[in-house]
Amino acid sequence: MITIKDVKKDYIDGDIKVHALRGVSMEIERGEFLSIAGPSGSGKTTLLNLIGCIDSIDGGEISIDGEELARRKAKELVEIRRHKIGFVFQSFNLIPVLSAYENVAIVLEMLELPRGEIRERTMTLLHEVGLEGMENRRPSKLSGGQQQRVAVARALIKEPLIVLADEPTANLDSGTGEALLKLMKRINHDRGTTFVFSTHDPMVMDYAGRLCRLHDGEIESDEKRSV
Amino acid sequence: MVRRARFFFVLAFRNLTRHRRRTVVTALAMAVGISIYTSMDSILVGFISEIDRNLVDFEIGNAAITAPEYWDERHRYLLDRLVEDPEALLRVLEEAGIPAAPRTTFRGDLIVHYDPFPEDGSVPMVFAGLDPELDSRVFRLREAIVEGRWLESGREEIVLGRWLAEQLGAEVGYPVSVTTRTRDGYRQFLELEVAGIYESPNPYVDRNKVHLPLDVADLYLEMKGAVTSIHLKLPEAIPGTADPAPARRVLEAVGAGPVVALSYADMTEEFTEMMEMEEGFTNLLLFLLAIIAIVGVSNTMLMSVLEREREIGMLRSLGLHNREIRLLFSLEAAGIGVLGAIGGLALGSVFTGLLVTYGVDYSRLMSEIDFAGYRFDSVLYGVWNYGTMVSATVFAVLVAGVVAIFPTRRILKKSVTDCLRHV
Ligand SMILES: Nc1ncnc2c1ncn2[C@@H]1O[C@H](COP(=O)(O)OP(=O)(O)OP(=O)(O)O)[C@@H](O)[C@H]1O
Ligand SMILES: [Mg+2]
Repeated sequence: MITIKDVKKDYIDGDIKVHALRGVSMEIERGEFLSIAGPSGSGKTTLLNLIGCIDSIDGGEISIDGEELARRKAKELVEIRRHKIGFVFQSFNLIPVLSAYENVAIVLEMLELPRGEIRERTMTLLHEVGLEGMENRRPSKLSGGQQQRVAVARALIKEPLIVLADEPTANLDSGTGEALLKLMKRINHDRGTTFVFSTHDPMVMDYAGRLCRLHDGEIESDEKRSV
Repeated sequence: MVRRARFFFVLAFRNLTRHRRRTVVTALAMAVGISIYTSMDSILVGFISEIDRNLVDFEIGNAAITAPEYWDERHRYLLDRLVEDPEALLRVLEEAGIPAAPRTTFRGDLIVHYDPFPEDGSVPMVFAGLDPELDSRVFRLREAIVEGRWLESGREEIVLGRWLAEQLGAEVGYPVSVTTRTRDGYRQFLELEVAGIYESPNPYVDRNKVHLPLDVADLYLEMKGAVTSIHLKLPEAIPGTADPAPARRVLEAVGAGPVVALSYADMTEEFTEMMEMEEGFTNLLLFLLAIIAIVGVSNTMLMSVLEREREIGMLRSLGLHNREIRLLFSLEAAGIGVLGAIGGLALGSVFTGLLVTYGVDYSRLMSEIDFAGYRFDSVLYGVWNYGTMVSATVFAVLVAGVVAIFPTRRILKKSVTDCLRHV
């Protein structure tokens, strides 16, 4: 579904060229629950950003559903993000002036679905992630774990091809983080949604169906696991 | 797009509530600007329409018939470009239902002598011979009489303004003399009596003009029936806007001699300079309003955009196009514009209401300075100028909306990942 072939990414930091990715290749299949692990600075975020079409590739290629990203114009990448990709951020990134419901519904509003369908799907999903009764609360009235559930719902609501989560549990305590992972895992199981998440937390890696270790911008190991 | 736009409206509106004080202060600055603009405009337009009214009601009507080129030369008072047969014209105008009043305007010296006057004196004046019957069909001088009585045909008498009467020490019944020249340029001397004193809102007419019966002027100036002008009152809603076409049609139909019909605008070309000044001033105010809007809104929006950089990154990763994010911030800024406009209209309406009801009294200023050329009363009233209010509102909202594009564009130049990394 997603093919990553010898992908390179460099950053210029002052006068120094940082090789964030030095040629990464992998294949991501539909329905995978993939964890990208690795120490700080190993290139996890960079890889997720490239898959998520929010950063430009310096070498190699990534294709989503056979579409090669490097050839796409900026506007087309926006459309790919809009329709195919869901993001979950370490710091939740909810809009503080919108309710939990609205933070999720915004995605479907962008897709211009009928209002009834938006309501139906948003409510169902919010219940599914365990936020029943909290739909009208603003983020400031939700705990960190609840906020991240809203963020997960926001990423899932469009039924994306892939959900990219960059250290989704890093801002949560371990219990809450584990609950969130269980939720993601359940959705992965029930809905067949593809998840790719980065982490350096061993507990989180335990949940992964496949673990890919990055080191210094290169893949160190890539193994399927049974959980 | 419509559905999406609705959501953008909701979000933009909510965003305005993030920093209420900042929103309110910015909107308030705009409101003050708008209210100053609308009330200044109100008083300026009031000023102009006051001038128009005074000219129409006391000096020139809203259209006139004169000999060709008379009007441009009228301040030379040469009596060489005349309407030779006013009677015939007055008849056809009457038939056409157009109120008309003939006048002969000339220059002379008004001479007064000690006892009954406090001292001897002579002042150059502009005189207008008018038909005591017909004149009030066009002008309102007759209503302005406050002492004595109105002119009567055939009587050798004058009416003059209160201000002039006070300066001269004139009272009803006092004798005055006038020296002038006849149509053919011979010296002439008239002895007249003060029949009445008027008090008009037109300072020029009050101070610099003396009126006498047209037939008396005709006799002494040897006009042989000719007059300098025939003033008309054509239908109009706003003083000075009458369409002179009916008068022109009448003139064409009768093939009247060498005369032309002048519109109000034709007759007041010298005032266009003042109108332009007014316009220039209003534009300057509009410019200042724009500066307030631009500086205020761009500053506020810059702060909003900067502190929401990560959120903008999130929206972009969600798949919002740059134009959608620009729209979002423009709507937010336009919201400030709307608030400012609402406040500005409210505040401006209060100011304008006061100006319309009570006006600005500058009589003290007037008694010290002689605005001989300008015709206005000592209390200046504002007018309701809804057009200006609407345009100020639209302007404020548009400017605010457009200004927001610049700070937003600045952020959108950054990459999505840079925005997201922002703390
Ligand atoms: N915008 C940037 N400018 C310069 N260097 C960058 C930029 N983004 C990433 N880097 C560098 O690229 C390398 C990989 O960064 P990346 O953020 O992908 O690592 P990471 O594995 O996500 O680390 P962490 O666990 O700390 O989030 C690092 O050396 C980082 O300093
Ligand atoms: Mg990272």
